[in-house]
Amino acid sequence: MIQINNLSKSFGTLSVLENISTEIKKGEVISIIGPSGCGKSTFMRCINLMEKPTTGEITIDGQNILAQKADVCRLRQKMGMVFQSFNLFSHLMVIENIMLAPLSLLKLPRQQAYEEGLRFLEMVGLGAKAMAFPDELSGGQKQRAAIARTLAMKPEIVLLDEPTSALDPTMVSEVLAVIRKLVASGMTMMIVTHEMKFARDVSSRVFYMDDKGIYEDGTPAQIFDAPQKPKTRAFIKKISSFAYDVQGKSFDLYELQARVEGFLTKQMFTEGRIMNAQLVCEELLSGILLRTFPDAYIALTVEYSDASGEVTVQADFTGEVYDLKSAACGEMSLAIIEKYAKDISSTHREGKNTLQVVL
Amino acid sequence: MIINKHQTAAKLVLALEGRLDTTTSPKLEAEILLIGGDVQQLELDFHQLDYLSSAGLRVILAAEKKMASPRGMIVTGVNETIMEVFDITGFSDILVIEGEGQ
Repeated sequence: MIQINNLSKSFGTLSVLENISTEIKKGEVISIIGPSGCGKSTFMRCINLMEKPTTGEITIDGQNILAQKADVCRLRQKMGMVFQSFNLFSHLMVIENIMLAPLSLLKLPRQQAYEEGLRFLEMVGLGAKAMAFPDELSGGQKQRAAIARTLAMKPEIVLLDEPTSALDPTMVSEVLAVIRKLVASGMTMMIVTHEMKFARDVSSRVFYMDDKGIYEDGTPAQIFDAPQKPKTRAFIKKISSFAYDVQGKSFDLYELQARVEGFLTKQMFTEGRIMNAQLVCEELLSGILLRTFPDAYIALTVEYSDASGEVTVQADFTGEVYDLKSAACGEMSLAIIEKYAKDISSTHREGKNTLQVVL
Repeated sequence: MIINKHQTAAKLVLALEGRLDTTTSPKLEAEILLIGGDVQQLELDFHQLDYLSSAGLRVILAAEKKMASPRGMIVTGVNETIMEVFDITGFSDILVIEGEGQ
């Protein structure tokens, strides 16, 4: 459906994308992930010519969009785009926003544009807001309206550029639900996103972008569970874990608990499971280690494995050989940890203790 | 964590809201220390308590000791998770817990 050959994009002397070649087939749902500023949005915006590539070829259904005689408008109509900042016209009602392009570009009769627009609004759960103005809607509602606007043009492919990044966390799931519905309908899609769990659930393919191109390309299982190349591995490790340094017993427990909650919420953990993880962290640190070594510097890492659904809490600190299970003080804490842990291990290497609790 | 105090005659009720952990347990400890000889019955109301760690358990134990016979202490409104913590640590044998699980 879309063939990309040797695509490069520079802004002046700054080269952002170099020599990208790939193919996007009908029905594919491709998530584009990667560090900020690596050109993910630029790449997607080249596809519908919102950015003009410096060199290269983009062919849509056999037609080169960059050729002189290309009917860019026509080719663009096949591609819908959903933006991070929604981009609804604030002077038009929601239904008028939806109808605008079908009326002016598809030349649909007014009544038909209205009826279809209303149907798309209902599909995204906003039937009751047709006559409202965008300013009256919440962020999540605006984005869902924007998706309806995109669908009203009946595109062949929908490009979503960080559709939930500007949203309050409480509204992210309503928008993801609508996107899931779209995926289920068989729409071809490309989504630049930071919602990793979501990307893993809905995509048929994942592009990890780095080093000015598509650094690694694979199925969600390949990219998230078994990344092959070094930068992909570092990225996946980074998003699937976080580190927290604890200096002595008066460390900020609430800051740590908040980090744990934030991290595990992104992994779609239930409130109960999150509390168990927080309890294990508190018992491990305040209950046991810092009672034994009040001034210790402990490097805590909390890692999540998508493949096993397990959370591993690891505490690293220097000192003599220490076995968690024979902790002198803290039997209550140990009992609590043992209740919630699948596995507890203590290892010692070159003067450093590593304790691991797997939940 | 918020502690709501309510005393009628010789009975004191301390209702806890939020979490009882390393950071907040000193607050409960301070309240326990304030309990005077006029209090014969202590009730720890956990209806609004979401989270309990071993730090909280230590203060509860101290309270239990202070309110030993002929005085008395009872814990009420314990949710499932906190009941689990009481069970694992053997506190459910030491404490008088009203309601579920006892």
